[in-house]
Amino acid sequence: MSSMFSDLGLHEAILLLPEITMLSGIVALILIPNLGDATMRIPLTRIRVPVLIGGTRFDFTSNPRLPNHVTNAVLFLAFFYAALLLNPTNLSEYSLEGGPGIGNLLVVDEFSRVFTLLFTSALLLASMATATRMPAMHDVTIPQESDSPETADSKVMALIDNRRQVDFHILLLTTGLGMSLMAMANNLFMLFVCLELASLSSYILVAFHKEVDVGGEAGMKYFIVGSVVSAVGIYGMSLLYLWNGNLDMADLAASWSAMEGIDPLAGIGVGLMIVAFAFKVGAAPFHLAVPDAYSGSSSPIAGVLATASKAMGFVALIRLLVIVTMPSSGQAVWMLAIALIAVVTMTWGNLAALTSDNPKRILAYSSVAHAGYMLAAMAAIGSGLADASTTSMILTAVVFHLLVLVLFKLGAFLVLSMLEAEGRGHRMEDLHGLAVRDPAIAVSMFVFMLSLAGVPPLSGFLSKLLMINGIVSVSAGTGPASATSVLSWAQGVDPVFWLAVAIVLNSALSLFYYLRIGLVMFFETPESDSPLKSSPSLEWPLSLRSVIMICATLTLLFGIGPMSESLLDLVSSAVDSLLSS
Amino acid sequence: MIDDPLSVITLVPLFMGLALIVLPRFLPKSSAEGLMRVSRNISMGIALAVAAITTLLFLGEWGSIDWTDITQGGYVLQNEAVNLIPSIGVTWKVGADALSFPMIWLTAILIPISMLVEWDAKRGHLFFPLLLIMEGALLGVFVALDLFVFYVFWEMTLIPMFLLILLWGGEDRRYAAMKFFIYTFTASVFMLIGILVMYFHTEAIAGLGSLSGHHFDLVAMTAQENLIPSEGLRHFVWILLLIGFATKMPSVPVHTWLPDAHVQAPTAGSMLLAGVMLKMGAYGFLRISVTVFPESTLVFVPLLIVLGMVSLVYGAWVCMGQTNLKRMVAYSSVSHMGLIFLGIATMQPLGIAGALFMMFAHGIISPLLFAVAGAFKHHYHTLEIGSMRGIAHHSPWLAAHMMLGWMASLGLPLLAGFVAEITILIAFWMTYGWLVLLPALTLIITAVYYLNSMQRTIFESNDPEKGILPESLQGEEPSDLSWHENAGMLTLAALTALFGIMPFIFWDMMSDWSSGFVVDTMIEAMQAQEWFP
Repeated sequence: MSSMFSDLGLHEAILLLPEITMLSGIVALILIPNLGDATMRIPLTRIRVPVLIGGTRFDFTSNPRLPNHVTNAVLFLAFFYAALLLNPTNLSEYSLEGGPGIGNLLVVDEFSRVFTLLFTSALLLASMATATRMPAMHDVTIPQESDSPETADSKVMALIDNRRQVDFHILLLTTGLGMSLMAMANNLFMLFVCLELASLSSYILVAFHKEVDVGGEAGMKYFIVGSVVSAVGIYGMSLLYLWNGNLDMADLAASWSAMEGIDPLAGIGVGLMIVAFAFKVGAAPFHLAVPDAYSGSSSPIAGVLATASKAMGFVALIRLLVIVTMPSSGQAVWMLAIALIAVVTMTWGNLAALTSDNPKRILAYSSVAHAGYMLAAMAAIGSGLADASTTSMILTAVVFHLLVLVLFKLGAFLVLSMLEAEGRGHRMEDLHGLAVRDPAIAVSMFVFMLSLAGVPPLSGFLSKLLMINGIVSVSAGTGPASATSVLSWAQGVDPVFWLAVAIVLNSALSLFYYLRIGLVMFFETPESDSPLKSSPSLEWPLSLRSVIMICATLTLLFGIGPMSESLLDLVSSAVDSLLSS
Repeated sequence: MIDDPLSVITLVPLFMGLALIVLPRFLPKSSAEGLMRVSRNISMGIALAVAAITTLLFLGEWGSIDWTDITQGGYVLQNEAVNLIPSIGVTWKVGADALSFPMIWLTAILIPISMLVEWDAKRGHLFFPLLLIMEGALLGVFVALDLFVFYVFWEMTLIPMFLLILLWGGEDRRYAAMKFFIYTFTASVFMLIGILVMYFHTEAIAGLGSLSGHHFDLVAMTAQENLIPSEGLRHFVWILLLIGFATKMPSVPVHTWLPDAHVQAPTAGSMLLAGVMLKMGAYGFLRISVTVFPESTLVFVPLLIVLGMVSLVYGAWVCMGQTNLKRMVAYSSVSHMGLIFLGIATMQPLGIAGALFMMFAHGIISPLLFAVAGAFKHHYHTLEIGSMRGIAHHSPWLAAHMMLGWMASLGLPLLAGFVAEITILIAFWMTYGWLVLLPALTLIITAVYYLNSMQRTIFESNDPEKGILPESLQGEEPSDLSWHENAGMLTLAALTALFGIMPFIFWDMMSDWSSGFVVDTMIEAMQAQEWFP
């Protein structure tokens, strides 16, 4: 262990620049709000040296929005660095001769950097949206003795609110740091530690939302279920450790492929870890805390859970299923389980969303359904029918889907966040007549819904088509070519094919509730005619409104045209970097 | 000259329309207001330019194309395919042939005419750009040779039409717009699934579908021998496509959105809906279902005949009971669309050419009918047929256009509708013999309802001085057509007469295309199935 960090040098520092940025962001968040004009008199002289910590705070450090600005800047920088590092020449230039690894715990490659992009962009969007959501006041003073109890109370509350700003943004950054490190983890232990760092932060973020009564309850429920599931996962990991003696993924993969039959220790260990990760992606039947957590937390945080947190679960699943336990030929042991979970997840999610009346719950269940689609694609990899290029295509589709989800799923949550800012957003009626109140936002929301449903030419269609294409291309060839009727062909085809049918049917089913959200915005009479607060939320150029519109535009641009192609190229080379390692 | 006129006439209206809607929101107030004031004129200018380009293309002044020499599978004015999403094989590929060109010309002509008819529309800074977007989307459907692009444009036509009904419609516009949207959107989801099954059966061609190994190129799909080998799956896909197309056409039993949408839509919306949007269904059916799956089409000919017959007879029958002018015209559209199915079901060059001509002829007659109905609503404030008598006395121009439109619709010789009906009936007789009596007798029902309402509204008058005016006028004297309404209707009337007297303008290319289509595509399938009617 001691040698692990001994060779940390400039190169590694550059490779880890996004994480270092986030880490220094956390330090800055702790320090900067405390900066003041305190001075220290050098003893026996009259010279006063400013010590900065303590005293009366400066104007800029007492600005309660400061943590938000710092977080935005830090996340943007981290995003920017990750994008720079995505360039393979930059990566290889700073990599050590032995490969892109750092110690033997982390590996910095295009795959992990694509996910850093994903995590930082999702958190950046959430952080931008939070500016208007968290109450904060300028010029709050400490209560004086002369104040009446009410005034004193309100002053204390305002101080607490301002203080909470720092806590919230530190938690956002630790979530980002945990996720980003987790994507690079090359060792199951490291992976789990980072996963827990991100998860624990996100439990608190869910409970942070005290605007509604259920916020605390949601956080508590999410925390309890999450920690139980983590315990299950850690138990599974300990079994794997018992079996193999270490948790290095390459070593585990080698032992797994050398294993004859299935060692019970290894099999149970992997099964328990799948449970832990399936909770993270929100797959049925481990998804039951998901709708409560989403609807209890503030919308930006729900958006982070639905995109970044889900992506984190999928990184873990991809590493565990495709890298560690995928046999070189034949069907993987987990294939049937994942396929079953996938079908149950997407059907359950869609049916529950159909019967729900709370837009946040609908989005939460739709997020469950999307996890099902992606798991179905993973099951197609496990079927053993996929050759190397098909595997790469399916993984590309999954990662691409996770990336564009940030645009349209989080975008939809941001729209709800605008409604929440005026104390609404928990009932279908709150969306009524949004087109009258704010046409641009309603159109954006409609684009998000269509993209979630998978309507061409939006990016949601492109990714879904690629996933279906992957499943069909591994399975359709197995049907008897001589079959004359659909029935005889269907009897002969590999069962994997039905996953594609399940996705198509579920997508058709999901259209109903997505269109319902779209239609109530245009057809129903709004409860109030006042235009939506187009809050000049951030004291910098991008208001939340324009951020939402940018998301909608990108949803289209990543669905068709050169931008979609370059993103696909990026993802596909990232996936190749994962598979070749 | 421009190398790629089809892309230009599709994309320029689309983006100019979008720009005219979006730009004023970003400009400073004074220039935004200036732009909004002229956006009507800009829209009209672009629409006229598109119409001029299309007409020049047809006359051969531009690119000198011999339109009669296009056979099925051969396209003119094709562009160099531009990759849109190479990883899944989507390209921007456009082209025209005798099937699509009359529709392209029709769209290009109808847009300026419908703008003219509603020249005084409220909120014109939104209305006219929306019509431009509509034009781009409709042209996109007809020029696209890539199924992905085709589907995108197909869905895109929904949005401007939906907004036209929702923002400028009558009292029940919300219900009508919602019904319109849900019906056509749901149906096109079936179509999308069908297209996806076709997609998964395509073989990779170089440079397309680098990631998926498939492509959406319609020309290559048509050329691919036996695209879907399994017969059952082929039939299944054919049915999925039919659901999408038949709902758009619309055919009984999925026609119920049409009367509601028509009654509530503004005049220009109705004109485009009946004139071009309904034809999208027939066009897609011929372009994709019949062309790619001739064997399945032969198998389902009885279904086509039933759908066509039921639409024809039921539409006409329901017309007789209608008291609402627009509703009556809407059901007559359902009836005429039934004839298109019958024409295709003959599997004769004559019948298919008749169906093509029907698409075109109905495309100029029904806008005239809806323009008349809209003007009627505008000047008499009602659409009830029984509520007034003798409008020939009060509004002679309106009465004249109404007469001409109804005569054309019931198939008076020397007007465009007659050519289409008579050829379809002849071809039907050649194939199915005396079964032709049913559609032929239905034409009598058509005559009954048109002549009946004609007598009741235009001529009959209890008081020769005044006629009976509807109560909705509240005693005011009705006015006749305004100049712009009259100009638009005169153009349509002139076209109706022109194509009635000289049908060969488009007929030649249509019949050549149909013969080539039957010889190249159908004969082989007919022989394989020993299909002889």
